Amino acid sequence: MTTLQTGALYGIATLLALFSGMPIAFALGGVATVFMLLFMPVAALDTVAQNVYEELASITLLTIPLFILKGAAIGKSRAGKDLYDALHTWLARVPGGLGVAVVLACGLFAAMAGSSPATCSAIGSSGIPEMRRRGYSPGFAAGLVAAGGTLGILLPPSIVLILYAVASEQSLGRLFLAGIGPGILLVVLFAAYAVFAWRREFAAAGVVADGGGVRSEILRQDTYTMGDRMRALPRVAPFLVLLTGVMVALYGGIATPSETAGLGAVLALALIAIVYGAWRGADLKPIFAGTIGESGMLLLIIGMSLLYSYVMSYLHISQAAAAWIVGLELSRWMLLFAILVLVVVLGFFLPPVSIILMTAPIILPPLRTAGFDLIWFGVVMAVVMEMGLIHPPVGLNIFVINRIAPDIGLGPIIRGTLPFVALMAVAVVILSLVPGIAMWLPNAVYNR
Amino acid sequence: MATHGIDAAAGDIPVADVPRRGVLGAIQAVLDVVNGALAIVSALAIMAAGLVLTWEVAGRYFFSIASDWQDELSTFLLIGATFASAAWVQARRGHVAIDALAQILPPAADRVRRWLADVFSLAFVVFFSWKSWTLLLEAVDEGQTTSSSWGPPLWIPYSFMAVGMTLLGLQLLTQVLGFRHGAQQPAHLAPSPH
Repeated sequence: MTTLQTGALYGIATLLALFSGMPIAFALGGVATVFMLLFMPVAALDTVAQNVYEELASITLLTIPLFILKGAAIGKSRAGKDLYDALHTWLARVPGGLGVAVVLACGLFAAMAGSSPATCSAIGSSGIPEMRRRGYSPGFAAGLVAAGGTLGILLPPSIVLILYAVASEQSLGRLFLAGIGPGILLVVLFAAYAVFAWRREFAAAGVVADGGGVRSEILRQDTYTMGDRMRALPRVAPFLVLLTGVMVALYGGIATPSETAGLGAVLALALIAIVYGAWRGADLKPIFAGTIGESGMLLLIIGMSLLYSYVMSYLHISQAAAAWIVGLELSRWMLLFAILVLVVVLGFFLPPVSIILMTAPIILPPLRTAGFDLIWFGVVMAVVMEMGLIHPPVGLNIFVINRIAPDIGLGPIIRGTLPFVALMAVAVVILSLVPGIAMWLPNAVYNR
Repeated sequence: MATHGIDAAAGDIPVADVPRRGVLGAIQAVLDVVNGALAIVSALAIMAAGLVLTWEVAGRYFFSIASDWQDELSTFLLIGATFASAAWVQARRGHVAIDALAQILPPAADRVRRWLADVFSLAFVVFFSWKSWTLLLEAVDEGQTTSSSWGPPLWIPYSFMAVGMTLLGLQLLTQVLGFRHGAQQPAHLAPSPH
């Protein structure tokens, strides 16, 4: 059997195991173990547990539970609502300011919590009812929050970028910085669309009102005094200090990424205790239950994905597949396009962590050969995987929104997210044409 | 329900399709107690890792104390937390799976698929547990330590891996056997955010 045939068999076995409904961690570990039994020396089987332990015993990977704890602490507090309320009072004069406030709140909250569903849930639970009360169409309101939530896997401390750093052996500090420019680009694109869509709905509501129909709430103008604006700040200021403080600690050379994760988690818990008085067992239980549930699930997937990649590499499947891709002699941009399409397709049924760890050994060597910067590619890949969060069939954020606003219905939510999928595709094109959007900050900070 | 600004309901993950009656129910009740205790240990371990890493920064920055044990201790704590909570997560069907075929297959066939998925998962977890115990016994016999200057014994994280995967196997076993006796699978397995 040739290496590529073995690889094809490995791929088919993986798909069968995954679609059988086995948990992803056990499916990947099981397939890897069976192929060790069939194609590797018997002694290799004795190292299964040791392999997983050694792959997991990476201080970079183990920042993940701590970033999840930080996100859970902030996500389960009222910080999201307070942040959104504060931004709303400051942006009320901007046309479509409510929608812009939601996008900015999502971006800031994602950077604090590092989690897409937590962002959707925290901002959406107050932002969606408020937007609907103010006459925004339900689909638009839902789409805006779903899309804003995706920023969690691009802005630091993105767990997806942590895994990419491990899989591609790139600097985590550079990757985090490279995510900021594209994150701001997406915030600008989403906010611009929010203003555009608001103007359209505002104009349509105006026509109805002028014709003697019902006067929509979207036509009403909010006014806030400077006193209102100043009163909104104290509750969110500590969290913004946490956000910037953690970044300063990381890039000011005060703390390593792992120390930043620990410091961020401890400070987030301290802040919710001080700001919201959340320090009792009943307050902390949901935070820690959410943390161990998510991090336990995620780290087992990571450990087994790394075992899976090890077997793929030992059997020379990844090397042969990478050589095959190089042998196709695709043009540089066609290669990138084909790989990004593969990522989109895999995103239909796999979570981003598995996509990164399973495909990195295959797709990164050809990309490096084609002259792509792997830091830049990591960020572009994250944007593409963000699209997977808001398009069917998996589209996690769609389900989160459906849970917090069940009366909207899946159809309008999905239709509401589609313009944002298109905007993300536009962002990928812009990043390809102007890679400096991602790379200027890491290059400036690291003096390259 | 909100308490002190915290959405308590959001973190209360209910126990999924575990047996509640007969001998299996009794075994599950014992497992619930053990899993719950280890979930608390996991939570404490994650919190301890956060504090250790915070101390690492504070010690170095404010007191100029250089030490080499914090990263390794944090690694032990976080790996311990991962494996110690594995069965607790499984009891809530928290290990995410692709459930696409549930929409396509007839209900009876889908039940068989779910059961077979659990059986295959159990087979892998039992194998992994066996290899974890072998690894642990070797580490104890040979007095293995990490290669750092601090050099803590490796049996500590290995024992969490062995015990955690064994409990995960037992949890899967009660779910496999309980399924035959009519326990229901969850209607929807949540996709993973990451």
